[in-house]
Amino acid sequence: MFWSVIAENKRKTVSLIVLMGFFLISSGSMIGMALADAQHPYAAGLIGAAVAGAVWVVMLLVSLFASDNVLLGLTHAREVTRDMYPQLINVVEEMVIAGSLPHMPRIFVVDDPSPNAFAMGKSPDKSCICVTAGLLALCDRDELQGVVAHEIGHIMNRDVLYMTVAATMLGSILFISDMFVRSFRYTSTTRLASRSRRAGGGAAGPLLIVSLLLAIIGPILARVLYFSISRRREYLADATSARLTRYPEGLASALEKIGQSPVMLSSAPSAIAPFYTVNPYRQHISSGAFATHPPLSERIQILRAMSHGAGYTDYLKAYVRVTRRRRALLPPGDLTERGKVDIRQASRDGCSAPATRAESLRRAGDIIRALNDFAFITCACGLRIKVAPEYPKDRIACPRCSRVHPVQRSGAAAVGSLLSASSAMGAPAAAKVVCPGQEGGHPSERTVQEARFVPGRWQKIACEICGHGYEISPRFSGRRLVCSGCGAVIRFSRAAGQGDGSSGIPA
Amino acid sequence: MSTGTIVFIFLAVIAVAVLIYVVGAYNALVILRNQIKNAWSQIEVQLKRRHDLIPNLVEVAKGYMSHERQTLEAVTQARAKAAGAKSVSDISRAETALSGAIGQFLAVVENYPDLKANQNFLALQEELTTTENRIAFARQAYNDQVLFLNNKVEMFPSNIVAGMFGFRKGQFFELEEQSERAAPRVSFG
Repeated sequence: MFWSVIAENKRKTVSLIVLMGFFLISSGSMIGMALADAQHPYAAGLIGAAVAGAVWVVMLLVSLFASDNVLLGLTHAREVTRDMYPQLINVVEEMVIAGSLPHMPRIFVVDDPSPNAFAMGKSPDKSCICVTAGLLALCDRDELQGVVAHEIGHIMNRDVLYMTVAATMLGSILFISDMFVRSFRYTSTTRLASRSRRAGGGAAGPLLIVSLLLAIIGPILARVLYFSISRRREYLADATSARLTRYPEGLASALEKIGQSPVMLSSAPSAIAPFYTVNPYRQHISSGAFATHPPLSERIQILRAMSHGAGYTDYLKAYVRVTRRRRALLPPGDLTERGKVDIRQASRDGCSAPATRAESLRRAGDIIRALNDFAFITCACGLRIKVAPEYPKDRIACPRCSRVHPVQRSGAAAVGSLLSASSAMGAPAAAKVVCPGQEGGHPSERTVQEARFVPGRWQKIACEICGHGYEISPRFSGRRLVCSGCGAVIRFSRAAGQGDGSSGIPA
Repeated sequence: MSTGTIVFIFLAVIAVAVLIYVVGAYNALVILRNQIKNAWSQIEVQLKRRHDLIPNLVEVAKGYMSHERQTLEAVTQARAKAAGAKSVSDISRAETALSGAIGQFLAVVENYPDLKANQNFLALQEELTTTENRIAFARQAYNDQVLFLNNKVEMFPSNIVAGMFGFRKGQFFELEEQSERAAPRVSFG
């Protein structure tokens, strides 16, 4: 938790409310004076101010007590239960435990094919997290966890408080200026014409110009103020995500997938844009004062540069290294962290991702490279570095996360391991098991196991060396099988044995 | 005003300041201790959840993995031992063993495509994954709190207050990351 950020968010919220009140009441009185008869401009101004004040109070109450429902209503989100999305609920509960939040947030899903997520609510006691159906479809468990932790980070740092109030206030300004423009159109055609005939213009002219200016500048100002708030917060929420999940790669690869997704969010009203993990309008507005989010590529790079640990300090170091900005994200001494936070391993269920066409093509290319003495290094960030045989040095830095790896020259042995790796690839951290059987390189030197083939039924055998299991069809007609886990040879004897199928391998 | 009065007022001010500090430090220590209790109960909830989950998992897996009896028995035994553990260090040890057994089990499951496709098993596996994660995260939260308390108990001047009221250092909940240790080495050489 970043205490200075929390304090800043609270302070900003209060000053925003006060400023908005001032703005609303003054513009209300201007509008009142502009619309009034020339005889009583000030009385009309007072009435306008009172109306605007009432609107302000209503907006304040709405933003503090009912904003979740209003804003969620705008996005057409629906609340979900455990039966519908068990994994999502589980992941949120995990992050609630990790962040020690007092209450479980309410969880919503938007039926939108574009991957994104946001959080809302005025305090950690009362908050909600909303993800799109596209995100659920696209991300695996670790990635979903990273995104959810990012949202929990927003809740913990009270970003959502400020953003919720700001969104409601922005909505109110847009609403009022819209009303004004409408009434002005009405006035300009009917009442203004008749009045100018009666009173000959009078004081209404300059007031009209001022209030018109207000009506034009107000929304722009509100937007600039509102959009300029969230960039630093995004970095800090990323830092919280890395710290809570202890797995920065999860969020990094989720952001990468989101960035590559061609589908745009169709149902995001502009008032909610800053809430999202990734700016839903990223194709239109990318940088400058109107950008609500820092560039995705930079956020991904920072997360991937966290090679030494998953703590806040590691994130801040990575931030400085990647962005080369002098100003740190946080004042020193603001961190409540002591000790080192290690990065955990990827969770297991990522391994079973089915291979796509592109992946199988890449594997075919890898096999050819391996035949040509390329060295393969799997970096902890998930990238497989292919080192050409001409590469002169014996160390290489990962182009994605800049970890340094030693380069080991290998012979044809790599081919076997690659062929077998084709079953285990797909997930970055799916480690390839190195078995003693494969060290022999040439097939004739490989370990040979004997197995009995029982005709007429399915049978299960396991490789003695690496434990890789096989189910042998009754129609299997071969004499031997090369273990795809380690390259060892399993030879079948075709005696009409009667032993049970499970104990395929004699000791 | 005589010098005696001034000295008296001076001493009184110091005494009040010290008292305020002691009260503040005492309250902070109590809050920390309660937070640790709370975090520990969270861990216990999750451990209980894991213990309840394992028999179901073994039951579903049994039908598919008839010749992996050893692995299943290891899980069941480790669970029984963990459920019987009492002290923090005992629990740490037993749960580490259980985590190892579960890791072994999940690695073996990779070889059984039928089992991996079973809907019940998939649901249970998701439950197991989330429980493992929750234990890890609850442990992290607990250890963070314990570290805070221990710092307070050891550091001057809060250590004086802690000594006066008998605050003791908390015990870390260490689960050795056995899965990390037993993980296959990555190598494409």
